[in-house]
Amino acid sequence: MELDYLATVLLSSLSSASILLIATIGLAVVFGLMGVINLAHGEFLMIGAYTALTVTQHGVPFILAIPVAVLATMAIGALVEVLIIRRLYGRLFDTMLATWGLSIAFYQLAVLIFGTVSPGIGMPQFSLRIGGYSLAGYPLLMIGVAALTGAFVYFLMTRTVYGMKARAAIQVPEMAQAIGIESSRINTLTFSIGCGLAGFAGAVLLPIVPATPSMGFAFVVKAFLTVVVAGPVTLTGSTLAAIGLGGGASITASFLTSVSGDVFFFLVTALLLWLYPVGITARWQRKM
Amino acid sequence: MSLSEKLHRSAGLVFPALATLAALAAAAVIDPYLAYVATSWVIFGLLGLSLDLVWGRGGLLSLGQTAFYGLGGYFGSVVAINMVTLTGNSLIWSLPAGAAFGALSAALLGWIIFFARMGPLQATILSYTFTLLLWSVSQSFSMNVGDAAIGGDNGLSGIPGVVVGFGTAAEALGPTEVFVVAVLIAAAAYFLCSWLMRGTFGRVIDCIRIDAQKTELLGYDVRRYQLANFAVAGAVAGLAGALFGAWANYINPTIFSVQEAMLVPIYVLVGGLGTLAGAFVGAIVIGALSFYLGGGAVGGQTTLILGVVLILLVLFLRNGLLGALDALWRRTLPDHNAAARETGSVAIDPTVLEGILVEATGRAGPAKSLATSDLYKRFGGVIPVDKVTREFNPGRPYSLIGPNGAGKSSYLKACAGIYQPEAGSVLIGGTDVTGAAVVERARQGMGVKNQKPQVFGELTVLDNLWMAAFSRTRDKAAAAAISHKILSMLGMERQAAVQASALSHGQQQWLDIGMVLCLAPRVVLLDEPAAGMTNEETCELSVLVRTLARHATAIVVEHDMEFVRTLEGHVTVLHQGKVFAEGDIAALRGDDRVLDIYLGRREHV
Amino acid sequence: MRRFHSALALSTALALFSGAASAQTKIGAIFDLTGGLNIYGIQQDNALKLAVEDVNAKGGVLGSPVEVVSYDAQSELSKYTQYANTAILKDQVKALFAGLTSSSREAMRPIVRKAKIPYFYGSLYEGGACDKETFVTGSSASQQLSVLIEWAVKKYGKKIYIMAPDYNFGTISAHWIKEYAKKAGAEVVGEDFLALTVTDYAPTIQKIQAAKPDFVVALPVGANQTGFLEQFAAAGLKDRIGVVSTNYGSGNQQVVVSPQAGKGLIASQGYFQPVENAANADFVKLWTAKYGAEPPIVSEAVDIWNAVHLWAAAANKAGSADAQPVISALESGLTFEAPNGTVKLEPGSHHLRQNIYIAEGNDKHGFNIIETFSDVAPSYENEKCDLVANPALAEHFTPESQ
Repeated sequence: MELDYLATVLLSSLSSASILLIATIGLAVVFGLMGVINLAHGEFLMIGAYTALTVTQHGVPFILAIPVAVLATMAIGALVEVLIIRRLYGRLFDTMLATWGLSIAFYQLAVLIFGTVSPGIGMPQFSLRIGGYSLAGYPLLMIGVAALTGAFVYFLMTRTVYGMKARAAIQVPEMAQAIGIESSRINTLTFSIGCGLAGFAGAVLLPIVPATPSMGFAFVVKAFLTVVVAGPVTLTGSTLAAIGLGGGASITASFLTSVSGDVFFFLVTALLLWLYPVGITARWQRKM
Repeated sequence: MSLSEKLHRSAGLVFPALATLAALAAAAVIDPYLAYVATSWVIFGLLGLSLDLVWGRGGLLSLGQTAFYGLGGYFGSVVAINMVTLTGNSLIWSLPAGAAFGALSAALLGWIIFFARMGPLQATILSYTFTLLLWSVSQSFSMNVGDAAIGGDNGLSGIPGVVVGFGTAAEALGPTEVFVVAVLIAAAAYFLCSWLMRGTFGRVIDCIRIDAQKTELLGYDVRRYQLANFAVAGAVAGLAGALFGAWANYINPTIFSVQEAMLVPIYVLVGGLGTLAGAFVGAIVIGALSFYLGGGAVGGQTTLILGVVLILLVLFLRNGLLGALDALWRRTLPDHNAAARETGSVAIDPTVLEGILVEATGRAGPAKSLATSDLYKRFGGVIPVDKVTREFNPGRPYSLIGPNGAGKSSYLKACAGIYQPEAGSVLIGGTDVTGAAVVERARQGMGVKNQKPQVFGELTVLDNLWMAAFSRTRDKAAAAAISHKILSMLGMERQAAVQASALSHGQQQWLDIGMVLCLAPRVVLLDEPAAGMTNEETCELSVLVRTLARHATAIVVEHDMEFVRTLEGHVTVLHQGKVFAEGDIAALRGDDRVLDIYLGRREHV
Repeated sequence: MRRFHSALALSTALALFSGAASAQTKIGAIFDLTGGLNIYGIQQDNALKLAVEDVNAKGGVLGSPVEVVSYDAQSELSKYTQYANTAILKDQVKALFAGLTSSSREAMRPIVRKAKIPYFYGSLYEGGACDKETFVTGSSASQQLSVLIEWAVKKYGKKIYIMAPDYNFGTISAHWIKEYAKKAGAEVVGEDFLALTVTDYAPTIQKIQAAKPDFVVALPVGANQTGFLEQFAAAGLKDRIGVVSTNYGSGNQQVVVSPQAGKGLIASQGYFQPVENAANADFVKLWTAKYGAEPPIVSEAVDIWNAVHLWAAAANKAGSADAQPVISALESGLTFEAPNGTVKLEPGSHHLRQNIYIAEGNDKHGFNIIETFSDVAPSYENEKCDLVANPALAEHFTPESQ
């Protein structure tokens, strides 16, 4: 195997893992801080993508469309939390079913509003050459975006008042209540941030994954498996799981067939769950 | 008992039987088309039933039921395609083959889930992953098995229809007859499952759902029961799959799709979780809904409506249609739980108790000792059990005392097998059980009451005791006799039919202790049994523990020093995970070092 | 008003024989109007309604207007079987127009065989479906690929890479690509089959670069897989390696793909909206008047339009809407002036002899037609499937199983 091919494979696998992490991190935040599995996460991604698309179609530069998408999904997320999620705390599987209902409703709404095909915004045409191979530049940029997003969430959860309150509210709810943390408001904010991160993912990945009503589905299954494999230490765990599963699947696909990449993803997930029945970070001491 | 009450009690048999008759009668009048569509609702109901067994009763939300359904469908159909020419009849091949293959694949997945002791979310996800894996693989899986051509995404066609006659002249039935056959098969499967879940097996499954740890502490091999239940559900799913194949004459990988997988929980939720019959109600309601919404009306927003309906159901009709009806009906019935407050006083009769314990000796052998050597357990930086070497023998009670956080409960849990120690060993009656599962220790004769009372809230008081007694005797009559004896000893005769969850905290303590007594254990571990008891009750408890100790090794963790004194036993003081001091209570009371650790002083340590 | 009277008179006459219910001829339509496949399904359904209006405006079938019973399969396979039975058992349709995916067709074929009514499948597909009741108006993989591969080898060179979805359409197409490559003296230097849910195309793009082909045959399914084309272009590969496809554009992918990635992509199909002929001009005019100009008309819509017209012509020719005479009439070598040129229904294989167009993506989310191959025969189907000689055939021929 030539060295330049190997380097290309490693680099693009890292970019695949980063894309998975970007798509997953909102789900991880919501699961880690609220114990809620949001099956409509993929549809929030889609909402983010369509928002960014619509805004760019009105002449706003792509880079400014991203924050608009984040704000829109945060607002919808907050609304969903107040109307639905809040009433189902502590009922993990009921929340899953309700958010699944939400996901198919959002999906159908998107079909009604946007139709089935919308023009994509295209991928910025720059590339990187390694030996005889060239790689699309934008997906590689996602490695940096993933790192920044991870750092942002880590900072938000460990260095801000909100983050400390949010972690307190999940770890010792009674105590948090007793010292005056209004956990319901914190939860609304957490869910809203999780959805905002999904919206961010949808927007920032728009050049790679065109906006379609069904785009959420392509992501949510793997994002979902990543978070569950990660276990209780969600942020670090999800990062590791995304690199291991997403990167591993991409490397497998590079050397074997694309389908074997998928099979690798699912089989390793099953294997990890067998070895670590409550996630790979079950025995860790870290907080995020 | 009023007629309404009797009817309510047997509602799970009477109404499904009526519904079956009604469906058969309806078959005579409905048009063939409706019969055809309704057949699919019955099949989906059967699939829902399989989920309700593992979710509603077993407590595990499996998203793998469609996987067993699909596998059963494929396998049963392949067998039927190849064998149907031999007999003419297709169902005698497809149904058993589908059910067997469904059961086998479920057992395989269940073995991984239950024997790895997966968390509930992880188990759900693993089952989902299994379905997704099948979905990816089946899209491109092409293979010819005899006359059957499995053609990847194009599916498997040419599946023989429902043929019940024999011989070469036998022909596939028309839609109405197929409906009748499907109803009969579904009814048979339902009543079989219903019978199974009403019996001891079902009761154990219920207990596992409510409190798996307690069930295991009672000596039931939780993992085997879960596995068996999962396999039974897999068989039902496989049966449904084979029936589906015969109905549609065609199977394709979409049977493994996410949409299919997620529809099954909806059927169960709409009908009512844990009711078994609810799965059919849900499948029919959803089927009819999407039939009339999406059927003729083109462009009907079926997907949107289903999504919204699901959200509303989860929010407002948590127990489904049957659950809601049941709640309405219950309001008109007398409330058995009202008797919870009419409790008599606890009166431990040492002779009755000794009778049970002596009888147990005959079966399970004499009292056993419990010993630990260098037992060591850590949680990250905290070491609640730090190389404890102790031996406990029958004769007189042992008390473990120490300030909060001394490691008393952790030591007990490490002995019971609830915590796996990092080092050291645990011996029951000289047998090394360090690596053995909780159930193995329970079978060795260990009885445990944890700090928090563990009772099966949805079961009646008597059933709670019966479950414990049956675990040891494996004899229904003997279990009934023992549980009645213990019941009267606890002064709870009038609460026999009360649900355990309606009892007060103190009553639950006694019930939990009563369950331990029903086990007639050879080694007894009681964690704070006196908490929440009145003075009189504490006296009775003391009598009980002392009687127990004559026939078993009894170890009690307690904070109540007066209670510890009345036990007149051996006392061990734990501090920071280590044995700090030992002796009788009088001697320890005079020990300044013991006082220091209780008061947090450092003068003498 | 006069037409009303004549219709009434005829229906009264018919009622004497067959009861009042069958005054009008009913046909069934099952397409995906909701769900992931409605990119295609809505247009198929629109085309069917438009065609029926057209037929009715020109006098209908057997002198009375055709009535449509339409169902939404919701992109779920189980709905296809359910509604096929509904249409047959309850509505008693005389012909069925349904399905997009091969699996939907395979699911319905046993049902229509049992009911013995003509069934029209209007979508490009992997080829090989063969039975007395089934009529295919879309182009088959071998039909499209036979001309495309020869053309592409001439244009780009002899090294081919295949990127296909991992199911029957992809694997069978790959087989034909290899076969036609051999004929053209070219070689397949690599192939990759992608799961339908894949979003990560980096591995494929690396493998393509490692294999150094002259052109790639890319068969992306649905809008999700257009990500491949974006990434391929962004990596700067489009200028070095050609991209050709038999299904790019069939779901209006050219609308989703950005101009910089879509420009220069080669697609071959039985129809593109810019095709120039009188029938297409009329068709596009009718279509845009009713449905508007966006999104562009896809080939599946034309396939259904053709199917309805062929069926109506056959019924009128037979003088009956019953299955047996209609099928016989359909097997009589019917031709039709279709928007995609003259099409001829092959009596033996029940497939269409039709034009295959090669088009190039432009920078306005559209196509320019650069080459027309007239009257391309469904040669594989004609070879395997002769239903005139062998009416009992009920097969799905695949080249691998030979």
